[in-house]
Amino acid sequence: MKLDVVFCGVGGQGVVVLSDVFCEAAIIEGFDVTKAEIHGMAQRGGSIVAYARIGTKVESPLIETGTADAIVGFEMLETARILPMLKNRGTVIVNTKLIQPSCMPPKVKPKTAEELMALLKSKALVYEVDGIGIAKKVGTPLVVNTILLGALSALPELPVKAESFQRAITEKLKEKYINLNLKAFQLGRESVLNS
Amino acid sequence: MASKISIDKPGSFALLNGDEAVARGAIEASVKVAAAYPGTPSTEILETLAKVSKELGIYSEWSINEAVATEVAVGAAMTGVRSIVSMKHVGLNVASDAVMTLAYTGVEGGMIIVVCDDPALHSSQNEQDTRYFAVHSKIPLLDAGNPQEALDMAREAYEISEKLRLPIILRLTTRVAHGKAKVKLGNMQKIERKAEFDKDGSKWVMIPSNAIRQHRVLEKKLVEAKQLAENSCFNFAEDNGSDIGIVGSGVGFYYARSVLDTKKFSWLKLGFVYPFPSDLVKTFASKVKKLIVIEELRPYIEEHIQRLKLDIIGKSELGLEEIGELTPDKVREGLSKTNLTTKQEKSQPIDLPPRPPALCPGCTHRAFYYALNMVNQSVNCNSTKCVGCGICEYACSVEKEKTFNPLKSRIRVMRIDQIFNFAVTCKACINAPCVAACPEEALTQSKKTGTITVDETKCKGCCWCVEACRFGAISVDPSTHKPLICDKCGGDPKCIPTCPESALSLTGRSDDKIVTGDIGCYTLGVLPPVKTVQSCLCMGAGISQAAGMVHAGVKDKVFSVIGDSTFFHAGMTGLINIAYNKANVCVVIMDNSIIAMTGHQPTPGSGKTAMGTDAKVIKIPEIAKALGIEKVLTVDPYDLKATKAALREILEFNGPSVLISKRTCPMLVARDNPREITEKCTGCGVCTTYFGCPAISKIGDKTEIDPTLCVGCGVCEAVCPFNAIRRIEK
Repeated sequence: MKLDVVFCGVGGQGVVVLSDVFCEAAIIEGFDVTKAEIHGMAQRGGSIVAYARIGTKVESPLIETGTADAIVGFEMLETARILPMLKNRGTVIVNTKLIQPSCMPPKVKPKTAEELMALLKSKALVYEVDGIGIAKKVGTPLVVNTILLGALSALPELPVKAESFQRAITEKLKEKYINLNLKAFQLGRESVLNS
Repeated sequence: MASKISIDKPGSFALLNGDEAVARGAIEASVKVAAAYPGTPSTEILETLAKVSKELGIYSEWSINEAVATEVAVGAAMTGVRSIVSMKHVGLNVASDAVMTLAYTGVEGGMIIVVCDDPALHSSQNEQDTRYFAVHSKIPLLDAGNPQEALDMAREAYEISEKLRLPIILRLTTRVAHGKAKVKLGNMQKIERKAEFDKDGSKWVMIPSNAIRQHRVLEKKLVEAKQLAENSCFNFAEDNGSDIGIVGSGVGFYYARSVLDTKKFSWLKLGFVYPFPSDLVKTFASKVKKLIVIEELRPYIEEHIQRLKLDIIGKSELGLEEIGELTPDKVREGLSKTNLTTKQEKSQPIDLPPRPPALCPGCTHRAFYYALNMVNQSVNCNSTKCVGCGICEYACSVEKEKTFNPLKSRIRVMRIDQIFNFAVTCKACINAPCVAACPEEALTQSKKTGTITVDETKCKGCCWCVEACRFGAISVDPSTHKPLICDKCGGDPKCIPTCPESALSLTGRSDDKIVTGDIGCYTLGVLPPVKTVQSCLCMGAGISQAAGMVHAGVKDKVFSVIGDSTFFHAGMTGLINIAYNKANVCVVIMDNSIIAMTGHQPTPGSGKTAMGTDAKVIKIPEIAKALGIEKVLTVDPYDLKATKAALREILEFNGPSVLISKRTCPMLVARDNPREITEKCTGCGVCTTYFGCPAISKIGDKTEIDPTLCVGCGVCEAVCPFNAIRRIEK
């Protein structure tokens, strides 16, 4: 058994924390885990990618191009950028938010949300998650990452039980944030289960 | 709940990155003293130790630089307790003076020097390979390939260190240090030792007669070290009876295992790589027909095996460069050359807008750079907007000469062809060449504003100034033959509001001064649109590079920008040097009271130690004065007006000076209300073209501020020439 997931987004969105919770849940489930991420020079607003691999035994922290089983995208442009990592007809869970890069070179044409979504859908099985909309129901915009984790947990190919994710959230986060995040996890999970 | 790092549950699992694993290994070995200077990707080692220092009775400190950190750890090891020093690869260069001779003195208590290399320069200035430093310094080296190895090696390194009475280098690379994995924790050793120093030990005193003796001792220790390497558990073979053997070290070895069917090959993983375990490699080689080496950066293992006169397939045969990091993709591609793997089909690249690195929204450095770029402002034209209508020329002639005659305008429209037009006027160069060219000394330049004035009583109309101007920005009055030079109408140019295309703006330029840089967040000032910093060599180099340029005779004013922590690390010596040798350099100390780049560690200016205790606040202005700098100014970079005024004062000053741009990193400060763009916006693009805050974007003609990114610093309000940015009142 082996499952490779790429988490991507923009600095400050909580990409690294979320991929950690995912890995902790896999460890609770008894899997081997490796993960690669880059710190430093990753200022607020820069591209962030974390690769998480779970399985009976995993040795390389990096994933080969075109072999990832799923991408969890916090932002549409970064999700499109990392798309070559995904295997043929792999799964993409994407937060339907587009953050345009600032200071674009003058000749570069910006992409619209519609263009990016069409691109994603042409290559992958896409689950669109309205992270900000659901976060409003939870009551804080800071739980978008946990909503996406909930969505990921609902994928049929995922070998980690919802309870393990909930336990990882409880163990990893500060006490005052646990309930909010458990609620966010549940709503995210339902958004995929009901889609 | 006890933190996962200090938990005493041998055999339990934790998700740790390589740095945390090293810290855990040192804790398991009962480390007593830890010192480091932050540097990606090594920072989390000391951070992790500092968090549990009180609980476990470990002394942890952020030292002033890697040399000092090493010497602190050496001092502790001289007293018989166990110590650790950690740094990034280039930090080892700073520490190398101590490390080279430390090999001779050896240590009493176990000491490990953890060095994190950064293949692919994720956050560094070079790609040096520390394995060669081990050869250079004759210090044994362990090379970790994943977090589990990092933990085990850190713990075992203390045993090796005390067996040999030598420090041990533990090398990680970025993918190990910042890769996380499920790691099995080991036993917590409880070693209680009293710190005692042998005052009569001549081995601590490296005068020549002692040092030559100790060099002999070192050579003997290396013979013993080689035996340890031959039998080390970190060098292990997996013999699958294959004809093909794959040898590797570091994370590259595991990439090879992930792209191949492991059972079809025999494997030799080298972890204790210096001294090189040559007998072990020979034995392994004798069992296979073909030997392939997979390693990152330089061909260290390859060269050592070649010396054994064994045939190998290495970097050149596999086409694996010494540049950059290995990836599973590259290893697959390389191994396909020996037909062990099939090549992967190249996917079509997707054409997407880049998201280049940039200083954060609200960054104090951006505000300072903006002031520095704009200190000598001039009327500039956006050539993509200018249609060449010439209305600015009329506006100028009316304003300055009271006539509708574009020939008497100080701004001139250049029509390159029908679609490319722009208006040009005086750029207010620092040390303007037109002033130098005038044989009559009729031209003078205000040091405060950069404006050039013509003394018509002295001017004889020779027009040498016109030739000297490289912008073609000086017009000549057709009737008097005297030069017409823009004076920016005293700071409120009348041409700007008359332009129907909003193509004109009062902005500055960065190419008329030299700005040497240094290592830190502020190095990002090299990238567009800020584009201020022009050099970055190593910690502290900027000040002395600037001095060298001045002594070489450059004409431009030379600035050197350096962060507060880099100043403490390596800038103070350079500063004394410019004071002593009188270099006309302005050293700008970007003091945000924190080491922001590596994740906000305290500095001697922040009043806190690594362990969270209170510390004396070391004041930079006092240091600068004590080091012999007479002109020391401090400004708030958010106050653009005051910053520009201070810069003009510096421009007028001849001699070494210090300008401190002081404001706490906005990541550590509560946000103010975000700003918004009002209907006054003309789309001139000054905020996006010159200021470049990531919270402000311009798609087509629409400029917007993203309220979730904006931290409310408000600097853009002062940047906007049309007062079109305001605070959102809640």
